[in-house]
Amino acid sequence: MNRYRLQHVTLFEYDGPVSESYNEVRLRPRQDETQSCLSFRLSTDPSSRPSAHVDPFGNWVHRFNVLAEHRRLRVAADSVVLVQTPPAIPAGTRRLADLDLLDEEIDQYYDLLAPTAYAPHLAELAGLMQEAGERSDGSAGSYALAAATLIYERFRYEKGATHVQSSIRDALSTGAGVCQDFAHLLLAVLRMRHLPARYVSGYLVPRRTAEPGASVEEVIGGQASHAWAEVYLPGAGWFGLDPTLGRPVCLQHVRVAYGRDYGDVAPVRGVYKGHAGQRLSVDVQVRPALDHEGCEHLAQTNAGPPRGPLPEEPPQQQQQQQ
Amino acid sequence: MGAARPLLYYRLLSPQTEESRGRLFRGYDPGPFYDEMFLPDGQARPHYARMFRELDSMAPEQFEERRQLADLSFLLQGITFTVYSDGRGTERLFPFDLIPRILPASDWDRIERGLSQRVIALNLFLQDIYGAQRILKDRRLPRSLIYSCGHFRREMIGVQVPGGIYTHVAGIDLVRDSRTGEFLVLEDNVRTPSGISYVLENRLVMTRTFPYAFHEHPVRPVDHYPTELCQILRSLSPRGGDAPAIVLLTPGIYNSAYFEHSFLAQQMGIELVEGRDLIVDGEVVYMKTIHGLMRVDVVYRRIDDDYLDPLAFRPDSLLGVPGLMGAYRAGNVALANALGNGVADDKAIYAYVPEFIRYYLGEEPVLRNVETYLCSRPKDLAHVLDHLPELVVKAVGESGGYGMLMGPTADRATIAEFRDRLQDNPRNYIAQPVVPLSRVPSYDPRNAAIAGRHVDLRPYCLFNGEKVVIVPGGLTRVALQPGSLVVNSSQGGGSKDTWVLGGDL
Repeated sequence: MNRYRLQHVTLFEYDGPVSESYNEVRLRPRQDETQSCLSFRLSTDPSSRPSAHVDPFGNWVHRFNVLAEHRRLRVAADSVVLVQTPPAIPAGTRRLADLDLLDEEIDQYYDLLAPTAYAPHLAELAGLMQEAGERSDGSAGSYALAAATLIYERFRYEKGATHVQSSIRDALSTGAGVCQDFAHLLLAVLRMRHLPARYVSGYLVPRRTAEPGASVEEVIGGQASHAWAEVYLPGAGWFGLDPTLGRPVCLQHVRVAYGRDYGDVAPVRGVYKGHAGQRLSVDVQVRPALDHEGCEHLAQTNAGPPRGPLPEEPPQQQQQQQ
Repeated sequence: MGAARPLLYYRLLSPQTEESRGRLFRGYDPGPFYDEMFLPDGQARPHYARMFRELDSMAPEQFEERRQLADLSFLLQGITFTVYSDGRGTERLFPFDLIPRILPASDWDRIERGLSQRVIALNLFLQDIYGAQRILKDRRLPRSLIYSCGHFRREMIGVQVPGGIYTHVAGIDLVRDSRTGEFLVLEDNVRTPSGISYVLENRLVMTRTFPYAFHEHPVRPVDHYPTELCQILRSLSPRGGDAPAIVLLTPGIYNSAYFEHSFLAQQMGIELVEGRDLIVDGEVVYMKTIHGLMRVDVVYRRIDDDYLDPLAFRPDSLLGVPGLMGAYRAGNVALANALGNGVADDKAIYAYVPEFIRYYLGEEPVLRNVETYLCSRPKDLAHVLDHLPELVVKAVGESGGYGMLMGPTADRATIAEFRDRLQDNPRNYIAQPVVPLSRVPSYDPRNAAIAGRHVDLRPYCLFNGEKVVIVPGGLTRVALQPGSLVVNSSQGGGSKDTWVLGGDL
């Protein structure tokens, strides 16, 4: 069981004055059997009065608006989260051959079986699916694990190989991508085998923070914001798999939002009025809320500017954090 | 023939003479169709007898005079609509045919019962699908059909809509099948159905053009529609109180129904606004006025879901109001119709509406559907592909006659194109046999005579959460091209005044 304090700061800086900014953010860590969000605080500068709802995927969404003219918008989410060791995939899950889409248990996850814009069901994935099947013992659980490992082995982690709007077609053609692409690839390979799967956005806590003394290089890309996938195994439940690391999720994974794909979970999205261009920077700090020695380790990471091209100055613009 | 003809009438129009009798109807052939005016033996139906005698005694020149008078009246009032994708300017007159469509009380009773039942079932379906989803859990409707529907709004799941009302205004399209004389439901429109302004204006013009006819027929009035609608809108106000602020939200002057938007706003005495006139702050909607911001309680929106709020839906929309969905979710503003209704009038889900009536109400449908093939079912798709030249194919999410194939009149290239589209995206299409629509005698100006033209009927149903109020009649749309079955105004159709008789003649 680990307790982390997470500070996620998103800063939009505009070239000129903007106004009437409306935003919704998905930044509050999820609350369930293996993870507790002990506290959460959202603040914005300029200040606003956020309100919240829970979306159809069970994510907390906070909404706020800033009407007055401003040149920068800072959104800070501060949370304390308690993470328990996630359950391992049990042996002897349902045979792949016995998966039935009309089964009541699977039917309820229709949305998590359908192709999406980011994770279309492509004929090119047939090879991966076949190989994952061959590596598995024929059970759904071992297929899912094999698929995550296979994607880890076959694709290069490379920033800039894809962009925030990339579907898995880009990763398939370049053989490279980032965690978002790895997660989408795994979703398609699972769903095409009739296994419900969901996209997970969250944080990967650096190993030296999660387990003091471990190597820093474990933190892929040096960025705490992360994405992976969860698979539903009939009769057993949901299990997280990280295809960027090629293994099941562990105490380092903090879950924030679920969705069909990235499109459902963007941490910050909004629209504003103004002709100004924008620069985005994201800063995520993770530290143990309390460790065994009673002192705090600090791991700080910085994200670069957004990867996608910005719209060419429409009177009303969108902002979205990658 | 009443003695009480208004003086004005005599001044404007030439008198009738005996010689004119029979000229308008010369060569009239009801054809192999159900004729709304004539019995198969050529006699006028009892409820049409007086109207027939009147028309039959008119000379074509007299009729033409009245027709021009009616057209002038429409033109002077600026009653127009817009056809998209024809590149010929924005607005045009909605062709109006002077010969009314008359429905006897018995037909209307059945229609009214059937529509009430249907609207209540559709509303219960929407409550369920955005709530507990009982119908899916009970396996009475395939989940795939709902979740693959482009108009299903996941954002609406769990949102409490004011009064539990989704379908405040429904326009349900009916056709009378010539083979049986029975009214069938052709499609449901529960998003932002338009056309009611034509119903009201057609009536107004008819009372000016055939004033005495209203003395001779017990025609049930339609002019209380704006009052009824306004009452429902008022009842939705989240703040309660006597004077809720209600606005009609229009996409603007380029919208095909802009005339109707301004007409209804004026009739109901509410503000006509565009997205830029509203602003949301702290989940409350305000209207920008010269006196400052004024809180808005109810939005009668005539903008599609997709464009309503760029934050929640299409981010490139400039027509909507950013933050509106949040205010709606917070319960600070009511929207009519509710968001997400498109899942109920999807043309594939339409096929299940009779099942909704049985499931939610435990009743048998009063009005039947037209037989429908769902291309998402492999067996249906195979049948449709084999019979394309005999079928009507419709895109499930479209309305207004767009994205449609009329098999019997389509050329080979068009049929081939649809064959590809169906195979690429079967879920997006349904097919129906061509229903031989009933006909009503209509005036053809090209040869100054009356001929049968196919019609449908769109009654407008208002739902206040307890009961359905339907203005008697509705919009009769008429395919003015000889032989055509397509009545949509966007496809060259016109309209008629529709009379529901309050009793026997």
